[in-house]
Amino acid sequence: MTELSNNYFVCVAEIAAKLDQATRIAQQLSLTASNARAVALRAGERAAGFRPLTDFIDRLAEITIKSSRSINLLAATLSQTSADKVRADSAIEHFNIVFIKAKDSQFIGSLDEVYLRCQTKQQQLEKSYKRQIDRLSDELIMLSNELRNAVILATLSRVEASQAGIEYQDALINVANNVEGAASKIKEHINYSQQMVSTLEEY
Amino acid sequence: MKTHKLFENKSHTWLMFGRDDEKPNEIIDTNQYIVITHKNALLMDPGGIELFSSMLAAVIKQLPADKITHLFASHQDPDIISSLGLWDQALPSATLHSPWIWESFIRHFGMHNISYSAIPDEGSTLKIDQVSLDFIPAHYLHSSGNFNVYDAEAKILMSGDIGAALESVEAPLFVEDFDEHIAKMKMFHQRWMPSNEAKNYWVRRVRKLDIDMMCPQHGRIFKGDDVKRFLDWFEALEVGIISKAAADV
Ligand SMILES: [Fe+2]
Ligand SMILES: [Fe+2]
Repeated sequence: MTELSNNYFVCVAEIAAKLDQATRIAQQLSLTASNARAVALRAGERAAGFRPLTDFIDRLAEITIKSSRSINLLAATLSQTSADKVRADSAIEHFNIVFIKAKDSQFIGSLDEVYLRCQTKQQQLEKSYKRQIDRLSDELIMLSNELRNAVILATLSRVEASQAGIEYQDALINVANNVEGAASKIKEHINYSQQMVSTLEEY
Repeated sequence: MKTHKLFENKSHTWLMFGRDDEKPNEIIDTNQYIVITHKNALLMDPGGIELFSSMLAAVIKQLPADKITHLFASHQDPDIISSLGLWDQALPSATLHSPWIWESFIRHFGMHNISYSAIPDEGSTLKIDQVSLDFIPAHYLHSSGNFNVYDAEAKILMSGDIGAALESVEAPLFVEDFDEHIAKMKMFHQRWMPSNEAKNYWVRRVRKLDIDMMCPQHGRIFKGDDVKRFLDWFEALEVGIISKAAADV
């Protein structure tokens, strides 16, 4: 039990850490968007098609940051629930030993109420634990879907870049590459977190 | 875990729990004490988390759990009170009496239900049913906020780490030969107690009390003349010696 408990603490902490990294990458993405905007402005009419794309990049960064923040918050709540659950589990375990050691005691019944209360608490924690994991899982799926748009975005960016003229082409293609790179890195972190969540679901 | 009755009269009973032969070897053996009055009980220095189950099992053989309405922790050490998080589940409406300076530290052991009653530096008196128990200041012996429990009626002083001895779980409950016992206490007092001044204050104060039994948290109980022998020995002992020894290296 203790080993499992330790593991789920580690899992939750790892999810929070991964999402933290995702947030940092998203912040870079937001920088990329303002770079792209500057380049597109200099390129003038020829890069007109690129401008709406920078808004999309911005939006993607914003969604990732927001979603990471709420996942982080969920992970923190989950960590607290895990701690409470470990405490409740431990109390139950200790009481079980007492019931064996003092089974013939005339006062053993005086523990019944306490035991029942601990059990109820344990079940409640179990429920909120499951609920929080479900929410975490949903949130990760949402973010993951959102990131799929990044691939389309990068392709579109490349098309637009080729029309911006030789002078700006490289800079704009660079923007497209950055978007793709950032999205795939964030995706990696999300995938890892999803694996962690499925481990948590088994407990 | 063994249970031993130390005192009994119409109003209350003193029990000692200890010599736990099921405890892991690396853990110091501890003595727990309880005062049981008509409707309530005070459990003193309830011990570490590792022996909680044994303790609660031993207690439940003597009285119903919910009769324990008061807990006392002489100071913040893990061997004294690290079981608090579990007692907090077992006795949700109990009150813990402990030095005010340790409240924010002791709460780290997990205290969501039990309430904390902070003992002021000068000590205080707890009345449970008809019984008065005095929290006698014993600061710096060894903890910087530390109390003994004195029962004037039973003439018992629960002295916490003062008088402690490092012994095996087979050791008898009472000191039989004081001079022989010194070897088991000397290092403990010299190393854990930091202040000669604090020690001498305490000796002076405790000499004025009428004591039949002095009950430490580790080792054996001092009875009758051995109490006075202990006070004489302790007064003459130089404590806090490690700081000098370490500086001389
Ligand atoms: Fe101590
Ligand atoms: Fe101790």
